[in-house]
Amino acid sequence: MRDVAVVSFAQAPTSSTPVSDTEAQMLFPVVAEAMERSGLRRDEIGFTCSGSADYLAGQSFAFVGNLEVTGAWPPISESHVEMDGAWALYEAWVHLQSGHVDSALVFGSGISSRGDLREVLCLQNDPYYLMPLWADHVSLAALQARAVLDATGKGERDLAEIAARCRRSAVANPFAQRFADVTADDLLAEPYAVAPLRTGDCPPVSDGAAAVVLVAGDRAREVCEHPAWIRGLDHRIEPHYPGLRDLTVSESTRLAGEAAGVGDRPIDVAELSSSFSHEELLLRAALGLGDAVDVNPSGGPLAANPVMATGLTRIGEAARQIHDGHATRTLGHATSGPCLQQNLVCVLEGDRS
Amino acid sequence: MSDTTEVEEAEGGPVRFMQQHIALDYVMRVSPIATRFAEGLHRGVILGRRCPSCSLVFVPPRTFCNICTVAMGDSQELEVTDRGMVTAFTILTPIQYHGQQERQDYALASILLDGADGTVGQQRLLDLPLEQVRTGLRVEAVWASEDDRRGDGGGAMGFGFGSAITGWKPTGEPDADPASYAEHAL
Repeated sequence: MRDVAVVSFAQAPTSSTPVSDTEAQMLFPVVAEAMERSGLRRDEIGFTCSGSADYLAGQSFAFVGNLEVTGAWPPISESHVEMDGAWALYEAWVHLQSGHVDSALVFGSGISSRGDLREVLCLQNDPYYLMPLWADHVSLAALQARAVLDATGKGERDLAEIAARCRRSAVANPFAQRFADVTADDLLAEPYAVAPLRTGDCPPVSDGAAAVVLVAGDRAREVCEHPAWIRGLDHRIEPHYPGLRDLTVSESTRLAGEAAGVGDRPIDVAELSSSFSHEELLLRAALGLGDAVDVNPSGGPLAANPVMATGLTRIGEAARQIHDGHATRTLGHATSGPCLQQNLVCVLEGDRS
Repeated sequence: MSDTTEVEEAEGGPVRFMQQHIALDYVMRVSPIATRFAEGLHRGVILGRRCPSCSLVFVPPRTFCNICTVAMGDSQELEVTDRGMVTAFTILTPIQYHGQQERQDYALASILLDGADGTVGQQRLLDLPLEQVRTGLRVEAVWASEDDRRGDGGGAMGFGFGSAITGWKPTGEPDADPASYAEHAL
């Protein structure tokens, strides 16, 4: 495997005030910051890959408009995935493994506030059985939460403890949208969104963007003091229809984690795309993360959930821990589809001193 | 979801069809630069911005130069004229379908405004027989009355003249030298 590192990361601050910018305008400063931090010139970028979904902003070909932030003249080599930017990172990493290019720019973005996510995300369901029911993602998550609580013997207080911890952690994250010094009791006083999930167990609606720069080999050490090397990267998919799956486990996360080598050595920090509090229980179990692992010190998706950038932000946050010298082995996780249908795991390591 | 249909006979037994119509509602907030451009149109002024790096003039204005990737602010704003030249055109023959407003053939053109470095597309040509539409033709804007000048909220690819400019008519000047628009011709 070719050595490839995340050398820079930038993200847009999220806010409960919806953006009036276009998606490209929102992305522009984020991509510019990631490029500046990378120390690379734009003409050194061998490949560009982005992740977004036009259904979020309600504009066809928004993903083409987003390319304007790259300064794509003379023409560049680029690709787009209709998925979270974490999958764009995967495509870029594969491209780097091929040896054809030595660096890549990756970004993900989404404006969720323009529509109703509970309607828009219905479109990811199959068109025959679940779509006509308008089975929204919060209701499907609540079904899974109930199954998890029943199977594990855990209760709503356990969920509230997770959600409260995330909101407290987010106080230190200047990019977070929802942060507060709250307790589980505070969150248990909130109403249900869809039982057993209370409003605090569900993510905020966020507009946002994230960008990272990947560089292969020694060049990464030249441009970055503490490169975050990608030591394992894998993604797995479960059946689309939730009724065909055991919702009390996340088998695809387990398989991706094993392939990425999560358990080979201790993980210091794990940034998980657990956008509902019960998902942290599932993901911790699937990845074998013990209590010693610092999970979502950024606050995670419960603090800010810019759909299509949430997963890439997790990898970026996991890389930042290494860039800043706070950790030596971290993990970023991304998910897609209803009830954690698809999962991607990225293991990052710093140079051993 | 609409009502189900009557039972129909089909091979293998009776079937009933279900129709499903999906609609999604979005709230589009107009970006500040699109608002400013629309305010200019209301005054009868076309605004652009000049890139501080490559000096290209963008009309409609942008918040960043998509070639140099540098930000452009209000200090890069300028007014361009409402005159220019046709660089490319299409003659359209409207197919009649439900909602179609057009009945006769018409011309849409890309127009390079004097002082701008990029064309504005999809512009209606007026007061000219279709057989006389040509590249290099000098044209000027036909403005709607002030009360009817509304901007365009804009989309992923930017924004246009909304209802402010109803079309473009020939100025009567000699045609532009092809060399002056060669790099804009398709």
